[in-house]
Amino acid sequence: MIRFENVTKAYKAGTVAVRDVSLDIDKGEFVFLVGPSGSGKTTLIRLLLREETPDQGRIWVAGREIARLSPWRIPYLRRNIGCVFQDFRLLPNKSVFENVAFALEVIGRPRHVVESQVPQVLDLVGLGKKRDSLPGELSGGEQQRVAVARAFVNRPLLLLADEPTGNLDPATSQGIMKLLDRINRTGTTVVIATHDAGIVDQMRRRVVELHRGELVRDQERGVYGYGT
Amino acid sequence: MAVSAQYVARETATNLWRNRLMTIAAILTVAVSLSLVGVSLLLRQGVAQATSQWQHGVNVLVFLDPTTPVPTTPTAQQHTIDQQLTQLPYVKSCTYSSQAADYAQAKRLLDPSAASVLSVATTPASWRCVLSQPSEAAAVARQFTGFPGVDGQVQYPQKAIRTMETVVHVLDAVFLVLAVILLLSAAVLILNTIRLAIFARRREVSVMKLVGATNWFIRIPFMFEGIVQGVAGAAVAVLVTIGLHAVLDHFAGHDVNSLLYDMRTPAPEVAMTVVLVAVIGVVIGAAGSAIGIRRFLDS
Repeated sequence: MIRFENVTKAYKAGTVAVRDVSLDIDKGEFVFLVGPSGSGKTTLIRLLLREETPDQGRIWVAGREIARLSPWRIPYLRRNIGCVFQDFRLLPNKSVFENVAFALEVIGRPRHVVESQVPQVLDLVGLGKKRDSLPGELSGGEQQRVAVARAFVNRPLLLLADEPTGNLDPATSQGIMKLLDRINRTGTTVVIATHDAGIVDQMRRRVVELHRGELVRDQERGVYGYGT
Repeated sequence: MAVSAQYVARETATNLWRNRLMTIAAILTVAVSLSLVGVSLLLRQGVAQATSQWQHGVNVLVFLDPTTPVPTTPTAQQHTIDQQLTQLPYVKSCTYSSQAADYAQAKRLLDPSAASVLSVATTPASWRCVLSQPSEAAAVARQFTGFPGVDGQVQYPQKAIRTMETVVHVLDAVFLVLAVILLLSAAVLILNTIRLAIFARRREVSVMKLVGATNWFIRIPFMFEGIVQGVAGAAVAVLVTIGLHAVLDHFAGHDVNSLLYDMRTPAPEVAMTVVLVAVIGVVIGAAGSAIGIRRFLDS
C-alpha cells in the first residue's frame, strides 16, 4: 500500500526532516508513527499527500510512484487518501452536513450520492443528529468526528491522521481512536502520527518510531516508550 | 473533470454574498477606474472629432490681381488657375468668389473707415480652397505665389494650423496615456482586491485541495466571481460614459461656434467605447481572479 525507499527530505534552512527512511505498510494495516516534535512524522504525512517531494528516494502509494506525479494528477492521488489534522480544518461557515458533503461535491460526485453517503457516514461517527450544527457549536471531540467523517466519506484506501488527538482530552481521544479502529476494520489502511503515549499503549498496534528524521524502531503490537 | 453549473452558480452566489464588503469594494474599484478610462476615451474621440471639424474650415486664399479686368465670371486664365488648384493632391475643393462678393464680405468684416477705402474694383476676386491635408497648406500656397494673374501673396492660416496640430497631438497623447495609466491601475487594484478576497478564504482553498479538488475546480468559482464583479463595475462605468456623452451633447446644444459642438461624437463611436469598457471589465475580472489564486494552487 505504502512504500518508502531510502527517502530523504531536507528543508531550505538545511534541517534534514527525514533521513534515508525505508518503510513498507501493507493494505489494511494500522500504524502509529511516533517520536518527539521535529522527528519527521509530519513530513512523512506531507510526503504521502504530495505536499512535499522527496530530495532522494522513492515513494509508492497504491502502486503509484508519487514523487514524479505530474501536477494535474495530484488531486486524483488525494482522492484516495483521507486526512485528519490536529486543528480539524473544518469550514466554520458551513454546517456539519455541508462540511462532509463538500468533500464529495468538490470531486464532482452527483447529488444523490451526496444525499445518501453523508448521513450514513455521520451516523458512523455518531453525529447523525447534529448535521445542521455549525462547527463552532460543537465540542472539540465532535469537531474531530466531523473531520473523520469528511476524510472517510469518499471511502479512501488510506486514512492519514496527524496528531488527531492533540487538542482533545484523554476520554475524547479514546473515542476518536475507537472510531479510527472501526474505519480500519472496513479495510482502510490507517496511519496515525502522534506523540500521545496513552493511546499508543492502549491500542497495541504496529509502532514506527522516528528520531531526528531517522527510523529507529519498527515494532509489531508495540507501545510508545522504548523496550517495554 | 466536470464542474457542474449548479455548483458554480451556488458557490459564486454564496461567496459573493458572504464577502459582500469585498465584492462592493471590487465593483467600486472597477467602476471608478473604468469610468475614468471610458471618459478619457470619450474625450479623446471628442478631440479627434473637433479636429476633423476644424480641418474642414481650413482655407487657402488665392487672391486674383484686381487690375486684370474680370468682373463676374472667371476668365480663361482663371480657369487655368482653377484646374491647377483642383489638380493638386491635397486640395479637396475650390470655390470662386467674385470681386463683388469679396467686397461685400470685406465691408462686413472690416470697420467702416477701413472699408471706405475699398471699392468693388479694387477688391480682388479670390479662390477659396479647402484642403484635405491642412498641413500641406504651405506647399499649396507656394505653388501659386507668383502665378500669372495671382496677386502677390497666397494666404493661408499657417500659424493657426501649426498650433492646432500641436494641440491636437498633445491632447491625443495625453488622453491615451491617461487611459492606459488608469487601465493599469484598475488592473492592479482589481487584482489586489481579488487576492485579498482569496486570502481571506485560503482555509477553504486548502480544504478543497486536501479532498482532491482539481485546480480548475477551485479556480472556476473564483473566476466567475471576478467576472461578475468586473461586469457590475463595467456596467456602472458604461452608464457614466453614456451619461457624460449625453450631458456634453445637451450643453453643446445647437451653438455651432462652441467647442463642445465640435466635440460631439457620433453614437457608433460612443458605442465602441462602451463595448470596449465592458470587455475590459470582464477580462480584468476573470484574469485578476485567475492570477490572484495562482499562488494558492499546486504548480
